[in-house]
Amino acid sequence: MLKTALVFVSKRKLSFSKVKYLSPTANPQPQEKIQSFRSVEHDPLKHTYNHVGQFYNISKEDRNHLFNYGGLPKTYLTQAKTFNETCVMIRQPTIDVIECLKNIDYAKPAVRFVIYGKKGSGKSLSMAHILHYANRSNFLVVHVPWVGNWMRRCQEVSNSDTKEGFINLNVDAAAWLLHFKTQNSHLLEKEDLKIAQDYVWSKREKTEKGSPLLDIVNHGINRIKFASDCVVIIADEIKKLSNSGVCKTLVAIDGFNAFFYPNTRVFTEKKEKVHPHKVVITEAFLNLTKNDWKNSAVIVTVDEIAVAEEDQISHMPRYLLGKEGFEHLDPFVPIPMENYNQKEFKSVMDYYRDRRWITPYPGQDEEVSALSANNPYNLIKVCAPL
Amino acid sequence: MLKTVFNVIKTKHIQTNQGLQCLGPFTTQACKFSNTSQLCHSEKQTHEEKQNISKAMKAYLDRAREHDEFMNEQNQEYQLGKRHLANMMGESPETFTQHDVDNAIEYLFPSGLFEKKARPMMKPPEEVFPQRKAAEFDETGRPHHFLFYTGKASFYQVLHDTVQHIVDLNRFEDAMIRKGMRPDKDQKINLSGYQWIDKDSLEAKLVETIGDKDYESFVQAFERLCSLPYSYKVKDFIMEYRKPLMSQTKAHDAPKPQYDENGRAFVTTYECLRKSARGDVTIRSPGTGKISINGEDITYFDLLQCREQVIFPLLFTNMINKVDIEANVEGGGSSGQAGAIRWGIAWGLRSFLDQETIEKMRLAGLLTRDYRTRERKKPGQQGARRKFTWKKR
Amino acid sequence: MATIKTLFNKCQILKSKTPLLSTFIQQNGMSQYPTYYINPIYKKDALEALIKSGEDQNLKHIPTRAALNNQTCSTAHDDLVNLFVNYVMKDGLKPLARDLVAQSFESVKRLQLEKYHKCQSEEEKAKIELNPKTIFYTAINNCKPILHLTPIKRGGVRYQVPVPLTDKKSEFLSMKWLIAAAKEKDSTVRFHLQLARELIDAANNTGRVIKRKQDLHRQCEANRAYAHYRWS
Repeated sequence: MLKTALVFVSKRKLSFSKVKYLSPTANPQPQEKIQSFRSVEHDPLKHTYNHVGQFYNISKEDRNHLFNYGGLPKTYLTQAKTFNETCVMIRQPTIDVIECLKNIDYAKPAVRFVIYGKKGSGKSLSMAHILHYANRSNFLVVHVPWVGNWMRRCQEVSNSDTKEGFINLNVDAAAWLLHFKTQNSHLLEKEDLKIAQDYVWSKREKTEKGSPLLDIVNHGINRIKFASDCVVIIADEIKKLSNSGVCKTLVAIDGFNAFFYPNTRVFTEKKEKVHPHKVVITEAFLNLTKNDWKNSAVIVTVDEIAVAEEDQISHMPRYLLGKEGFEHLDPFVPIPMENYNQKEFKSVMDYYRDRRWITPYPGQDEEVSALSANNPYNLIKVCAPL
Repeated sequence: MLKTVFNVIKTKHIQTNQGLQCLGPFTTQACKFSNTSQLCHSEKQTHEEKQNISKAMKAYLDRAREHDEFMNEQNQEYQLGKRHLANMMGESPETFTQHDVDNAIEYLFPSGLFEKKARPMMKPPEEVFPQRKAAEFDETGRPHHFLFYTGKASFYQVLHDTVQHIVDLNRFEDAMIRKGMRPDKDQKINLSGYQWIDKDSLEAKLVETIGDKDYESFVQAFERLCSLPYSYKVKDFIMEYRKPLMSQTKAHDAPKPQYDENGRAFVTTYECLRKSARGDVTIRSPGTGKISINGEDITYFDLLQCREQVIFPLLFTNMINKVDIEANVEGGGSSGQAGAIRWGIAWGLRSFLDQETIEKMRLAGLLTRDYRTRERKKPGQQGARRKFTWKKR
Repeated sequence: MATIKTLFNKCQILKSKTPLLSTFIQQNGMSQYPTYYINPIYKKDALEALIKSGEDQNLKHIPTRAALNNQTCSTAHDDLVNLFVNYVMKDGLKPLARDLVAQSFESVKRLQLEKYHKCQSEEEKAKIELNPKTIFYTAINNCKPILHLTPIKRGGVRYQVPVPLTDKKSEFLSMKWLIAAAKEKDSTVRFHLQLARELIDAANNTGRVIKRKQDLHRQCEANRAYAHYRWS
């Protein structure tokens, strides 16, 4: 064998076991090199509390499959491009959620999780990790990458034909349908998922009862005019399918509080502000986040950034969701997303040094920790010029 | 007649030396030509001159005598008053020092005036009344001091002494070099804790007014003297004109930490100021590195520069994970608030550090109060320094 | 660092408000501090060197100024970078200037890491510099001009005479040219990205700023005949 595999087993925990393939020419001191920040396990199905604080790699196929049309934050994407790999840190709240998902009784009504935390504490990335897990465990994934894109940066507004006084965000809806299709392509193509009733679009267009769900998705993508309505229909159908036990669903929505924030940037032709409840697609996702269906789980993040800057006072769910949103989601499991603890922080700094992103100097860790207050986003900002 | 002329010449003082010289050939000529009227005239002149000078000198001497008497009187009064005061205060008059006198006066005559010099005081008359020089010349008018005619005799005396020492030391050094001996390095004069006495003190010491240029030359002369390798030989002379500087670090003592109910030591520094920011900082000693500013953590400051400033003293002294910081700050901008907190942390940390580190902090500029404020705008200008655009027409 | 004598001279002379003599070191005359206050020494290694040499005993009795807002003892702090930030700054917007320089360092890292990951062999990888500060220093050093032309009037004619530059002036020119080159760009390109590119180019001895320096040197060489006009 040209390469010798050396296995180091730490005296303390099994989690610190590292397998490193070394070629004697590349590494002059094989015994010293420790990569404790990298996890051995890259399959989210097998992640446990032992892996907390370590980075795992998302393969290129998985990444293109899941996150081609959104789901990873922009800053993270540039970082992944620079580092030449997509590594996500395994955090404790994520493992909490995954363990719950493994142990839920799916015969009972849907359990709802709300991930909350300060700005830049890692909610979106932990959502991405959970999505990866869900995809691997054959969940049907209904994922909204960022509600703010619809409510505050909508692409096109039009009046709804089917509902009086409502607004369609058709381009966004079509983009989401494409995203949904890509994420669940392996499940939708199986033709198990069938719709339960007829849908008449116009005089000549009609989708039959019993045709696969994929048809409606494609219809929405091809006929952008009907995209918003397609989304609502799909939401309904998925609920029925889950209830009947055909598939298990995971609903993942990032920035859910934007559905309840009246100060949107969606304007009618007459330049009037549109409340989120007057947007057609809102109804779909509010429907999906109810707990009147089984065989499913709902994971939602509430984020300050989804809201205008003047109203970014608190990061707590009760404030961000408002009375309405809170009552809609009540009861839910709150998952607080904290800043890095000591171990996680060291892991990140080791990772950056390994990727040659920062030049090490003595006392770097304490300084950077104090400056960034252990907040992940602040850490990125502080380490940028180092 | 010749005799009378010569008698007059004998009693004349040095000031009219030249006159004497003039009279010399004049007298001989007078002998030859026996011009009695001229001689009489000159005799009268000298007599008158002598009387005139006498009068001025007499007045001067009178004044000097009066001043001396006055000072004696005041001194006696002062001594008497001091004994009375000692009796009043119940202390022994023999061991009653000036310091005790000051305290007694402050106690007996409490004053609410702000200016200390305006408050009631009892000092020895030498300090209260301006000093005069003792009579500088005798009744004949001959000055005692050989440098009297420079106008600033004592001052030039000092310079003269300095130069004399320089010359002597140079000679000494030459002699030593010839013997092949070197100056003793251990005895080398160490002037680091001292500075030259300032102009006002020098004036008071010499009882003469000195110009700025004179003071400069004084300092230069002494610097020259100190630069010589054997200057330790005249150390006493140099030290007379040196004032000790206070060691900057010991100027303020660090307060002792108090203890809260959990037994943790803490120090609070109030009045942390920088520009218009006002705050107070509490440092708790066995800590984990938690920083809270107005209830929030260090993210209270958006700017990285402000956060760096807050952490600066902790980084410098390696106390980052050893203390907890609680700060309350208001007013000013982010930069001013950060500066106030930085000073507060550095000032409070002194209670937990040793002298060496405190001195290092002082050299790093962490312990200096930054009193710089925004310069005011002046009328006729656009800003503090910027003038209005100059238009030629 | 002034010698003890000049320091004490400063103490006395300036305290008595006499005019400064040319031999003494002048502190900032416009400052709100008294003139005998010395500049702070906030870097740990500089302080250590001072204590080792014993100079700190002389400073025991002299008060120091407060450290400025942008000075820290951290290793990440750099005097030259701070100076550069000041040159980038406009209208007193320091946070913006700092951000721009930080972003340009980040862009430098990204550009270099891109090249790094494209390399196949270890030797090529070792040649690529990934520390943005080193690139910054190299760039400034490479762009420093040695001579420049000054107009000198002789016999009614103004000649452009090549004259050597002091180190500080040449450093200033180097930084100024880098910033000017970074500003000459398309409006779609961001300043920090362009500055990053200029820094990397300059560090490799290519690019617009190096060209400008070499043009200046060439002109100086061309005007060599007038060099004696400096002394006439």
